[in-house]
Amino acid sequence: MTSEPSRPAATSGSLGEGKQDVTMRGSIAAPAGAHGPGGGSSLQRLVLFLSRMWAWLFLAVMVLFFVVAVPLSTGGSVNFLTIRNSQNILVAIVPVLLLGLGQTFVLIAAGIDLSVGWVMSLASVLSALALRDAFNSGAPLPVAVLAGLAAGLAGAGLVGFLNGWIIAKLKVPAFIVTLGTSFIVRGVAYLMSENSTVIGLPAGLGAYGNDALIYYISGPGGGVYFLHRPDVGGELLRRMEIILPYPVLATAFVLALTMFLLHKTQFGRHTYAIGGSMDASVRSGIPVDRHVIKVYMLSAATAGVAGFLSTLRFTAGSAVIGDSLLLSSIAAVIIGGVSMFGGAGTVIGTVIGALIIAVLTTGLVMLNVDAFWQFIVVGTVVIVAVLIDQSRDLIVGRQRRGAAQ
Amino acid sequence: MRKSMLAALAAGVALAFASQPTLAADKLKIGFLPGVVDPFYQVMQLGVERAAKDLGAEVVTQVPPTWGVEAQTPLLDAMVARGDLNYIIIAPVDKDQMVGPLKTAADHGIKIITVDTYLGDGDYVKGPVKFPLSYIGSDNVEGGRIAARGLAKAIGGKGSVYINSTNPNVSSVEGRAVGFKEVMAKEYPDIKVIGPDFNLDDPNKAAQQTAAVLSREPNLAGVFGTNVFSAQGAGTAVVNAGLGGHIQVVAYDATQLAIELMNKGVVSLVLAQKPFDMGYLAVAFAAADAAGVTSLPPRVETGFAIIDKDNVKDPAIARFIYKVGK
Repeated sequence: MTSEPSRPAATSGSLGEGKQDVTMRGSIAAPAGAHGPGGGSSLQRLVLFLSRMWAWLFLAVMVLFFVVAVPLSTGGSVNFLTIRNSQNILVAIVPVLLLGLGQTFVLIAAGIDLSVGWVMSLASVLSALALRDAFNSGAPLPVAVLAGLAAGLAGAGLVGFLNGWIIAKLKVPAFIVTLGTSFIVRGVAYLMSENSTVIGLPAGLGAYGNDALIYYISGPGGGVYFLHRPDVGGELLRRMEIILPYPVLATAFVLALTMFLLHKTQFGRHTYAIGGSMDASVRSGIPVDRHVIKVYMLSAATAGVAGFLSTLRFTAGSAVIGDSLLLSSIAAVIIGGVSMFGGAGTVIGTVIGALIIAVLTTGLVMLNVDAFWQFIVVGTVVIVAVLIDQSRDLIVGRQRRGAAQ
Repeated sequence: MRKSMLAALAAGVALAFASQPTLAADKLKIGFLPGVVDPFYQVMQLGVERAAKDLGAEVVTQVPPTWGVEAQTPLLDAMVARGDLNYIIIAPVDKDQMVGPLKTAADHGIKIITVDTYLGDGDYVKGPVKFPLSYIGSDNVEGGRIAARGLAKAIGGKGSVYINSTNPNVSSVEGRAVGFKEVMAKEYPDIKVIGPDFNLDDPNKAAQQTAAVLSREPNLAGVFGTNVFSAQGAGTAVVNAGLGGHIQVVAYDATQLAIELMNKGVVSLVLAQKPFDMGYLAVAFAAADAAGVTSLPPRVETGFAIIDKDNVKDPAIARFIYKVGK
């Protein structure tokens, strides 16, 4: 352990001790060389640029690969870039992206949150229970849905507060605290559910979780409809395209909120600062303990939204639904460029990371390749991401020294 | 420079496919989406592939890595998004939660055939869910009854028995527990039934849960494992506790491990379902429906082979053991 007791420890052993640099580095959208002293050869600058943009390039190459390969493998009868497929991919990234957005803040602050998967499950169970009870005692459906959202967020927020408090005040490493709370939350989720699912939810609920903003029916007799599923059948129903389902819109809203929070507010700047150097943050008067608690509450809150949306989509609460999502969310954040050392990363990067995972899975199914290959590819990409992140430090260091001479 | 090359490449590919007529437009294309990776569904896949070969159909198979709607739904969505499947053969992992996603698939013109598990209440004519073409699977309630009678006989009609099951709200294992409890309540009132516990289709959890019950239940005489992983886990726990042969185990699903345990005297009764039949018939039904047959039965009961130590060597019975590969 280092001699800085108040640091919310990240999982990696090398916390970059002695890193006093508080400037925000590694913004994926910024042009190369924006933060360096402007020195270094053009080759170095190209390498630096690639090391920041590689996730975008990888996504583009992957999409192109599937666009070409899918029709080839099916004799021209299946296409990859269709409206339906693009909406599928958007729906598929909702849970991973929501978990990843919260995790982005935590990782930038040099922490980690291993409890998000089970917090999502707990929120799913809590919102299902609250929804059902509210509806059965006579509340109209929209009110019951709001009650569900409130219950999910409240439960998640409580766990987030617990995480942040123990990490900040009791100085226990984040890895251990969130691991412990993940077990506790899991148990609570099971106990509160009825044998791991909560069913018997009101019938109209499916519309909230599955309806969309735009319905487009092509061809004769078709048209564009908004907000509610048009009541058609047969051939018209077959040609109907569902565009921008409500869970995707909710996720876009959360995405906009977190982008604003991270890049345009003091909250975001403090998050980068704490991740960059705990010592310097304390000395510059940032209320570090309170901020850490808020960051973990934010992470839990996004997981709460994810759990709530899952309850709406499947019209049931499930205590197991978040189990497999934790690692995917961390992978998405790391692929997106958040440094494991803290102090760097962007929200857009996490979106790219989540897209890479979802496009990969969907593409493999359309190629009729065993979907298990996605695990191998994602794992490889994560390792590559960390390698690039580590070597980026080397390149930046060399650039600075080169300019100083 | 690189951008215009990419644009040219994309344009070329697009042109190439625009000018080509859609090949194989008449070939039957079926999606197969079982519940999880296990020997039961692997044998079912053999049936599916054999029928596809015999009938000239093309099958797209994806197997979820774990049992759950969050694992099965993305695969289902991707299959629907392909746009070229006429039928999907699926073992829905939840009889209520999968109704929504499958109804969406049906709305897009894909016909659904459920195997092993059903949606709603399994009655696709008069029940709440009517859109699937057919439900092909065992009568799991009857299977539960058979298991109960077999276990009761093996333990001499008294004592306590423990049910270890997989997931709630899954029609197959739910039916087995229902049938089991029904027979115990009506015909063997001296037998106390504990459980079911849910291991969520993890044999390690099944072993842990069974071991816990073994140590706290003094009169435990028998265990009923309601599916592949439950039976394997429960049987393993009994062996590890050194109680093989003293506690009778009845296993649903004839995996090779269950048969091994039977040969060692740990398991007294194995109910083999017929997953090969389910897979083959499902494809055959799809082909029949595509050819215009309208009299397909909405429910097919595929039956059991009841295996005990007296007939396990009989080839007519042993052929129902779930063997994958040569």
